[in-house]
Amino acid sequence: MEKRPHALLLKFPGTNCDAETSRALEEAGFSSEILPIACVDEKSLESAQLIVLSGGFSYGDYVMAGRLAQLELERRVGDALMRFRDGGGYLLGICNGFQILTKLGLLPEGSLINNVSGRFICRWVKLERRVDDNAFLRGLPENFELPIAHAEGRFVAPEGAAEKYIDEGLAALVYGEDVNGSTSRIAGLTDRSGRVLGLMPHPERFLWASHHYDRDWVGDGDGKGFGYQMFKSIYTTIAGEMAHEPG
Amino acid sequence: MEKISAEVIGKFESEGDANKLVYAPLNAPVKYRRTRIYILEYEGQVQSAEDFVNRSLVDDYADEVFFTGEPAVQDFSFYIDYEMKPGALDLEKEAILSSHKGTEGFNILSLKLVQRIYIFSDPSITSERFVRDVCNPAIHVWSVTDSNGRKVA
Repeated sequence: MEKRPHALLLKFPGTNCDAETSRALEEAGFSSEILPIACVDEKSLESAQLIVLSGGFSYGDYVMAGRLAQLELERRVGDALMRFRDGGGYLLGICNGFQILTKLGLLPEGSLINNVSGRFICRWVKLERRVDDNAFLRGLPENFELPIAHAEGRFVAPEGAAEKYIDEGLAALVYGEDVNGSTSRIAGLTDRSGRVLGLMPHPERFLWASHHYDRDWVGDGDGKGFGYQMFKSIYTTIAGEMAHEPG
Repeated sequence: MEKISAEVIGKFESEGDANKLVYAPLNAPVKYRRTRIYILEYEGQVQSAEDFVNRSLVDDYADEVFFTGEPAVQDFSFYIDYEMKPGALDLEKEAILSSHKGTEGFNILSLKLVQRIYIFSDPSITSERFVRDVCNPAIHVWSVTDSNGRKVA
């Protein structure tokens, strides 16, 4: 029987997008497992090709979004996520997951802080893909849409760093317009290996054309949304790598 | 037993419209700024306590922290400090203590979390409306301090 790529979703108290993210991964072809943080140790990461930190409000966003999840992950598995990436694994952080990956130092330096409006924003946004060959994004057009829902999505970085991320292709996604005050309109970041992606928008909320706010939206005509295409991209990449593995 | 007070302020945040804080607008040009204060009583080295604050409670890129005990912001009219009532279930405090786990080379004996709101206004604006609309008497205790450092409520 053909072995499917396996995705492991780490769930913290307050994570609330894990079920629909798991569904999205399964739709794209992954097998998936949601693992509460209390059950996570280094060994539990071994079965996965993709580790996903999904959206929500881990630990109630206490102190700052993602901080307590970062500390708990570091306490439980140390730098195992870094070794997972270096060993060929992929990591995806969506919304709160992006905030956690940033705090863990798995993405370029910076932080996600309160929106400049001081308010929670829930809406659809236009996005620009700024990298040509990324495992998570290669199936997507240069311009597409996804929904966002966050209070702390304004990306800030040391002076001049955000512009550098744009130039160096680390700012994988930027907003089509300024929605939350993010420096250089950054909506998503990748690391230098291309194996880690964090983004504020929610791809799991746009799997099918029927999820779009415009009932007449047809996209490519296949009934799939841009979020589906993102999950399919990473599935295709990992499945291709697995097919070339010996044995 | 040692004690440390850390006031944390967002580097990228600026004064906001204080009319957002009250249920009915004040119809006056009033500004505000929020900070958060952590007061730790602990056993151990002061450096370990400061390291804990910096590592766990402060954002490297987005926050500044002041250990002086003096207000982090100047030229305010007054500020309101509010915190959970003693004995009330404070989940944020519990989460922070749980993340500490005594592994930092010092022991936290107690932790107090205080939310501070600085108000910038002319003298005709008083604290009552802010206290009424920001603080919840069922779960909070609070104090008001004027620009001379006197507790007035």
